Amino acid sequence: MGHSVVNYTLTMLSDLHRALKKPVRERHWVMVVDQRKCIGCNSCTVACRAENVVPPGVVYIIVMEEEVGTYPNVRRRFTTRPCMQCQNPPCTKVCPVHATWKRADGVTIVDYKQCIGCRYCMAACPYGARTFDFGDFYTKDTPEFQPYESTHSYEIGNKWARKGQRSPIHNVRKCHFCLHRVHKGMLPACVATCLGRALYFGDLNDPKSLVSRMAVHYKGYRLKEDLGTEPSVYYLS
Amino acid sequence: MIEKALVGSRRYWGWVALLLVLMGIGFLFYLRQLSYGLGITGMSRDVSWGLYIAQFTFLVGVAASAVMLVLPYYLHNYKVFGRITILGEFLAVASVLMCLTFIIVDLGRPDRAFNVLLYPSPNSILFWDMIVLNGYLFLNILVGWTVLGAERKGVKPPKWVKPFIYISIPWAISIHTVTAFIYAGLPGRSFWLTAIMAPRFLSSAFASGPALLILACFILRKFTRFDPGREAIQTLAKIVTYAMAISIFFVLMELFTAFYSKVPEHVYHFKYLFVGLDGHTTLVPWWWAFMVLSVLSLILLFNPKTRNNDAILGVACAAVFISLWIEKGLGLVVTGFIPNPLDRVFEYSPTWPEVLITLGVWSMGFLVMTILYKVAVSVKEEGAGEAAH
Repeated sequence: MGHSVVNYTLTMLSDLHRALKKPVRERHWVMVVDQRKCIGCNSCTVACRAENVVPPGVVYIIVMEEEVGTYPNVRRRFTTRPCMQCQNPPCTKVCPVHATWKRADGVTIVDYKQCIGCRYCMAACPYGARTFDFGDFYTKDTPEFQPYESTHSYEIGNKWARKGQRSPIHNVRKCHFCLHRVHKGMLPACVATCLGRALYFGDLNDPKSLVSRMAVHYKGYRLKEDLGTEPSVYYLS
Repeated sequence: MIEKALVGSRRYWGWVALLLVLMGIGFLFYLRQLSYGLGITGMSRDVSWGLYIAQFTFLVGVAASAVMLVLPYYLHNYKVFGRITILGEFLAVASVLMCLTFIIVDLGRPDRAFNVLLYPSPNSILFWDMIVLNGYLFLNILVGWTVLGAERKGVKPPKWVKPFIYISIPWAISIHTVTAFIYAGLPGRSFWLTAIMAPRFLSSAFASGPALLILACFILRKFTRFDPGREAIQTLAKIVTYAMAISIFFVLMELFTAFYSKVPEHVYHFKYLFVGLDGHTTLVPWWWAFMVLSVLSLILLFNPKTRNNDAILGVACAAVFISLWIEKGLGLVVTGFIPNPLDRVFEYSPTWPEVLITLGVWSMGFLVMTILYKVAVSVKEEGAGEAAH
């Protein structure tokens, strides 16, 4: 690994097609973040915004920047943070209306038709991965409201347009690993767009998949593992 | 009996009118919030609960405090409390109504509030909180109204009401325990992840609620012919004293664990309260006000000379109520979000619409309390009048 020339994108796509042939229960979607390769360009955040048509204040994936060390031995470290898609999620059990749950393939989703907007799940998430749709628009108070802000997104297999008081406005929103793309055989928008090829996506239950091999080979670690949340996002550093 | 709330002095109607105006203003701003969304508040993706949920948390405590009257009177036959037990129960009714309203006001989609009943989720503490709060509301209306009705007729309360009275005692403990569990079971929110959260909630509840009751008793004594009795007030004052002392003791326990262990995620939140974090100091003056007021109140309450003086006792009770409001109704909820799980500091301050809506809900609660107290006091005045003849 890493010595021969590999087309990562094609490898991930063929992994993905292999996983989609299996029943949902036998898949475990995970992401691998190679912090050594991240250049902190925020393309993942931008691609996600475009794909999921998210408004100001709502964000599914961020790139956290830290300075490590002291001069002259100093460098910047980037930690890209989508939803950790915990296998033991603290956010789902607190929901008073069954509006959020972990799917069989390990991805936690929100049912916008059910959510009452109490934001208990936001308090429960130890990763700050959930955000609330306060109903803002980027071009709200500008001379011309831009209609692209009300175009459809396709989260979790449904068509959503942010207009008036309609959901997902006033609901809690989160990263869903772009399942609508994945189920059509495409990579999540952030992974597809990543410039430095720092983001990887695939099925951890498949030992031959690129993500499985990387997570094992490079001894991937996970954020706040001591909380017992069992995140599905592995970091290589 | 409710007709007794419809006759009153000009001062009574002036007070009712003031509350109605404040309620009206709050309601108008709530209509704006409904059309604009929660973006009208100061809440954000980092501090996702603000003034509304904090008021809810504080008022659950005020509601639970009714048990401090019910328990001595019914379990220990402490007769002195007989005259004011109804005041505790009606205070609980008003407080629980405020709690429920604050939850509704905080919802992004209040039109879907009934999903809580349609899709019951026993895994969620919020689901249980809804059950215990509504149950407590029901118990206090039932018991308060029935006992008062019997008193009006000059007969003993019916036997069937006794079991409800006894149930209401552990039920009062449950409402504040369950409310503490909303916070105390969340991984990654180290400010709340503490086993003494429920004890802390209960001790502050038994200080803030009775403190408000003492102030209410003073007001009733001044403006009506109803006298709660000196011994009742002094016993309540002792309850406030020890509950307040325990409450502050518990806060000191939290400080020891955080600052001696020096575990950063435990230290940061308290550091934010005491001196601020990264130059963000919004809550610092409030926190120091809490400490000054709580120490002052303890000095005034523990010293028998000052405690026995009604004017000073009033000041001490106001200090208890305000300081615990700062601690629960401001500090506890907001500070849990600062710093955020990514160790970044984003502060919160409420917006004007948010403050006015909050004030409106408080006014609604005080209106309910006023009406219920008017009924109770009228019944008691009648009884006293007949006894004199």
